[in-house]
Amino acid sequence: MELLIDHITKQFKDKKAVNDISLELTPGVWGLLGANGAGKTTLMRMIAGIMQPTSGQVVYDGVPIQRLGEQYRDIFGYLPQEFGFHQEFTVKDYLAYVAALKGLPKGQGRRKIYELLERVSLLDVRNNKISKLSGGMRRRIGIAQALLNDPEVLVLDEPTGGLDPGERVRFRNLLSEFAHDRIVLISTHIVPDVEHIATCHAIVKSGRLLATGTTEELVRLVEGKVWSCTIPAEAVPEYESKLQITNLRNENDGSVSIRYLSDRPRNAVSRAVAPRLEDLYLWMFPESSGESDRRCQ
Amino acid sequence: MSIFRLELKRVLKSRLTWILLALALILSALLAYLPTTYCYSSYTDEAGNEVNLTGLASIAYEKERQADASGIVTPERVREAVEIYQACLMAYGVTESYDLPEGVYEKEILPIAPLLHGVKEAFADPDTGMAPTIMEIDPEQIDDYYSVCEARIASLMAMEQPDSPAARRKAVEMYRQVEKPFEVYPGMSSTITDYQNLMGFLVLLFCVVIAAPVFSADYQSGADDILRCTRYGRVRLGIAKLLAALFVSGLTFIICAAVFILVADSLFGWECTRTSIQMLYSIVTLADMNIGELQRLFAVAGLLSTLASVSFTLLLSAKCKSTVASLASALVFCIAPVVVTMTVPGVLSDWLCSVLPASGTSIQASILYAITDFRFLNLGGWAVWMPYAMIGACVIEIPLFAFLAVRSYCKHTVK
Repeated sequence: MELLIDHITKQFKDKKAVNDISLELTPGVWGLLGANGAGKTTLMRMIAGIMQPTSGQVVYDGVPIQRLGEQYRDIFGYLPQEFGFHQEFTVKDYLAYVAALKGLPKGQGRRKIYELLERVSLLDVRNNKISKLSGGMRRRIGIAQALLNDPEVLVLDEPTGGLDPGERVRFRNLLSEFAHDRIVLISTHIVPDVEHIATCHAIVKSGRLLATGTTEELVRLVEGKVWSCTIPAEAVPEYESKLQITNLRNENDGSVSIRYLSDRPRNAVSRAVAPRLEDLYLWMFPESSGESDRRCQ
Repeated sequence: MSIFRLELKRVLKSRLTWILLALALILSALLAYLPTTYCYSSYTDEAGNEVNLTGLASIAYEKERQADASGIVTPERVREAVEIYQACLMAYGVTESYDLPEGVYEKEILPIAPLLHGVKEAFADPDTGMAPTIMEIDPEQIDDYYSVCEARIASLMAMEQPDSPAARRKAVEMYRQVEKPFEVYPGMSSTITDYQNLMGFLVLLFCVVIAAPVFSADYQSGADDILRCTRYGRVRLGIAKLLAALFVSGLTFIICAAVFILVADSLFGWECTRTSIQMLYSIVTLADMNIGELQRLFAVAGLLSTLASVSFTLLLSAKCKSTVASLASALVFCIAPVVVTMTVPGVLSDWLCSVLPASGTSIQASILYAITDFRFLNLGGWAVWMPYAMIGACVIEIPLFAFLAVRSYCKHTVK
């Protein structure tokens, strides 16, 4: 099982949202990391076959997905960034509707719906209208519909948006169980959501693929660039203006512990710390931590 | 079948759908009743008091007064009616019935009035089309009444279609096929079919409002992104959505038309539906049918027009990204026949009104008016009576627009 993204490009008028990306997705959970506007959603839409690439193609097991058509959609699950639904649907009706469209026999569909509703903790609200539910609940319905047909290829665009911490953990566990022998691609800019469950990551920026690899491989790129130290509280503004601080914590004695990204230590008390995926992300997307603003100043 | 059933269930779960369906049903019954409220009669009773009657009482009164005129319209009966009319007016020294003293018309002319319908038109001047007064008509000429009528359609068509011998020939041939003598059963007026037309137009609008968001709402909400990625989310879903919209629209129209006809005919009397349409409209109307058949044909034509309009609306819905755009453009096409009739001159107007899907039951441009008119579409040596063209266009447009709608939906991609 292999999903090949082959030199795919999407051009909107004068802007290339996705610029010649090639990626070979194998079974496992893949994290697609990138800041807002990096081209993640556009790439996912092309993988879902709902957007035509300007050039390049998506190939599943050696056959372009356009040619596979119904066969590809039969093994595919998708949750878009914006979860749209018909206002009149209840949770159960909506899932029954999608199950029918996914070709699930009635009995099997009903069993699967109940199983998934239980997994995403929505059994109690199954007869409620979706429009009356919270954003987090709607997101969980979106996740449930994507899993209805036990897809071999599952694409989730920002699936954890709106989920509370407990729901996030449950989602990660659900996905870890589900991902065995399947290709799961999750786009996010919330790094911890994929850090522990993704076997591989692809990092995109301005429509281009910057790096791919496992968490261990990728964090090696920022080894020796992540530092930690404790500074007096009054020195924080000065450090903030000069450094890309990734974490800041007030200590009981009035001092402040900071974690920062830099090619070299900025003071004598700084010590190198083990990098995390989030450090890599912030290194590659300095604008996410306000670094670009700092540079402008 | 399962997808169609679920789609149908989805459409019927919408509150807007139910509000529009309920409104359509109420309007159908109301519009069937309204023509009765315009009926008005007055007479002077034995005590010399003027009695004014409205509504159903007026209908009952006139039916009773005109009961003797009911039946087959033989030339002999028409001649007798004309002679009574002429004798009455001569006795009072007037040339028009409205100059008669109060109460005389109700007493002398009203009972024979149904038989006098179309007499003046039948004897219209072949060159100018000017109709004589009944006083100017020689009763002896009425002995060959239906030959006079056939001569009249020839002279009328010479004026209406001077450049189309094919249309003239076809019209004369059609009129020759009309079953004669005519029949008349008093009590009904052409207002009823006008209101049936209005009912059809309103139901068509409601159906278009229900159909306009079918595809575009999914595009707008993003629901389509999920549905399109499912196994049956393209052709099968497209067909299911289309069939559900056509089914709801078709059933709505059939129920509303049935309710209208049932209510109207019950109020005015079922026997009235046996009246030849020539005794309600022009005496030389080309269609061979009675009022009941006209109501049913018009209902079928309205149904076809509604289905064609819904198919076209679904095509627009599959093309537009927002519900506002699809609804607005669909409504523009619904009222297009009215605008065309008012603004576009002659032949072009006829062609456009024949082709536009909403023409079948539109205001001013409906198939009802085409049936009671003498317009033909001419193409080379070919002439097609407009009602045939309108029905034919709808029959072609329903599958054509339906196919294009599903095709557009399947080809839709996120931009």
